[in-house]
Amino acid sequence: MASVVGTFTLDPRARKAAAKRRTRGEGATAWAFVSPSVLIILGLSVIPVLWSLLLSFQANDLVSPSRWVGLANYKALAADPAFASAVQHTLVYTALYVPLSVVGGLAIALMLDRPIRLISLYRTLVFVPFVVSAAAQGVLFSFVLDPEFGAANSVLHALGLPAQGFFSDPGQALYLLVAISLWSGTGFCVIVYLAALQGVPDELVEAARIDGAGRAGVLRHVVLPTLTPVTIFLVLFQTINALQVFDLVFVTTKGGPLGSTTVIVYFIWEKAFKSFTAGYSAAAAYALAIALLVAGLALQLYQRRRTGKALR
Amino acid sequence: MSSPTRRDILRAAAVLAAAGTLGACGKSDEDEAGGVVTVDLWHGQTDTGKAAIDALIKEFNRTHPNIKVEGGGGGVTADSMLQKVTAGLAAGSFPDIAYIFGSDLASMTRSPQVADLTSALGDRLKDYWPAAKDAVTVKDKIRAAPALLDSLCLVYNKKLFAAAGLPLPKAGWTWDEFVTTAQKLANPAKGIFGTGWPGVGDEDTVWRLWPMIWDLGGDVVSEDGKTVAFDKVGEQALGTLDRLRTDKSLYVDPKPGGEQLYQVFLGGRMGMVATGPWELPDVIDAGLEYGVAPLPSYSGKPVTISGPDTWTVFDNGSARVKAATEFVTWLMEPKQDVRWDLEGGSLPLSTTTAAMPEWKKHAASTTGLQVFVDALQTARVRPTIAAYPQISEHLGEAIVAVLLGKKSPADALKECVDQSNAVLAVPN
Repeated sequence: MASVVGTFTLDPRARKAAAKRRTRGEGATAWAFVSPSVLIILGLSVIPVLWSLLLSFQANDLVSPSRWVGLANYKALAADPAFASAVQHTLVYTALYVPLSVVGGLAIALMLDRPIRLISLYRTLVFVPFVVSAAAQGVLFSFVLDPEFGAANSVLHALGLPAQGFFSDPGQALYLLVAISLWSGTGFCVIVYLAALQGVPDELVEAARIDGAGRAGVLRHVVLPTLTPVTIFLVLFQTINALQVFDLVFVTTKGGPLGSTTVIVYFIWEKAFKSFTAGYSAAAAYALAIALLVAGLALQLYQRRRTGKALR
Repeated sequence: MSSPTRRDILRAAAVLAAAGTLGACGKSDEDEAGGVVTVDLWHGQTDTGKAAIDALIKEFNRTHPNIKVEGGGGGVTADSMLQKVTAGLAAGSFPDIAYIFGSDLASMTRSPQVADLTSALGDRLKDYWPAAKDAVTVKDKIRAAPALLDSLCLVYNKKLFAAAGLPLPKAGWTWDEFVTTAQKLANPAKGIFGTGWPGVGDEDTVWRLWPMIWDLGGDVVSEDGKTVAFDKVGEQALGTLDRLRTDKSLYVDPKPGGEQLYQVFLGGRMGMVATGPWELPDVIDAGLEYGVAPLPSYSGKPVTISGPDTWTVFDNGSARVKAATEFVTWLMEPKQDVRWDLEGGSLPLSTTTAAMPEWKKHAASTTGLQVFVDALQTARVRPTIAAYPQISEHLGEAIVAVLLGKKSPADALKECVDQSNAVLAVPN
């Protein structure tokens, strides 16, 4: 018996040595294997993030030696009317884009969540605009919306309506950008909601029906609560997208006319690569990053409190 | 001695791979073996310009065995070169020569990496046009070699003039005549415009206004460089644009890049457009019956603007600076210059080139090209000061505000003057 046990027991010293060999040998090998990706992550993500944080405390024009200025960039940012209007434009854009794309996406998803003929074709068509890159959308719509030669004004003319300035009109440009983003961004919400709708338990819907709930009642008390986690995800995802909008602006209006579509990221680009005030630009980028972080944390917190309540 | 295990080999391979990744980040200052110096050139040219510069590079490499110019182009067009080179300077990895717009040169020279070409080019620039010389001179030092020379003149569509029964534009005509002519040419119902202006507010919007300002006795900045010098006359210049707008004879190009403005002209829907000689090949391709006239003025005296581009040399070690300088001076020689002018669309950089039979033949066979060359006599350039891009930005916004009818010329100018003076008040 003792001998049997003995075969299963290792000498403690031998075990220690084996562990040491393992940490030294396999640990080093493991690090050797992961080191390329560690270097890439450090080099392309972590170091630039830290470097731009340092940059935001400097006066730097990218070409001549930089100078430490402490919080001066952030103070200037708080007082800059151009930044204030960039923030305002971004908030208007976000406040319109996020609710409209999520609610619109839900509405279309509910419409497409039924067995009708050619349903997959409709679903594909709704998703197609999302696949088109923002740059291509920008080019496409600046042709359609050209004030002099565009198709949109021809249609208005045929209907007897006055021609519009579109991207040449400071009062319209930002709302047009929202409309173009909705054209493509809603498709994403539709697909996500469609997937989530397949997860609504049939027996719950059936039970609600038996209890006398109408279509509105089922939607209000069964479908929407089931979709809440997906809705929170979509709100967060679309908010991040909206706060970071840049490519569409760059292709269509370049922040104009008269600065009416200068959003935060375009402001950052302009400060870094047109005025060459890289430090100031980095400060603006960090202000945006903090705003994104706060938005993310707030939604996370809300989600947690909600699930906590549900468990209780 | 045991043979290395598979693990050892893998470990060594991983270390080598990591070292390779790191090594690639640095750049080597060493010249290549055999004494051949490699010169990295970011030319930013496309189509015909690229073909022309590629042919010249090939010729240079053939005749200069100790230097190898690599015309990679930098992966961007000339429009984005400033951003690309600035990012490169910040990262410490920049070309030896880059194609930099004249209006950007002054802010570029804040970098200590921009080579000083005063001693190399000082004597050579004597018989070059004043515009070419002024554009590369920053604070009395020559900081680049002239790369491309142009001047702003008026190209007009003869057919539209004939249809409207109007006399053709001629030298010495005034902005008043221009405005009335534009109004008569325009036919909004048919989608025909008198003339056009880029409406994005970038440099393309702004540079067309300077000849008007200069003609009225104004300037970009005052003699001492402390205030702008267009505060008194700017309103009149902007007023001319405002008249074109209220007459509905002006096409305002809403798209960045200004391409559409020329598309409208090439499509036969615009009577006159102010442009450089680089637009002529497209006009000829479009089969348009066109003519070229000098820009109008208020005083009747000829004045225009030239927007020269430059070959800016960067310091990657003395051997490479020397080789790069050799290349750009070789490019400026009349023999090469004339090839570049014929194939790449520049005006001759020097009077010597302009007198060459090849150029004369080319100018004679291209309608209106000589008008652009003659305009060089009175062409001025924007000042090479670091604050210029910011002044341009503010003036660009003022012009767009007037073009869109959002502000009166007086209000737009006042705001722009205040903002620009604030920029100039910052000591540099």
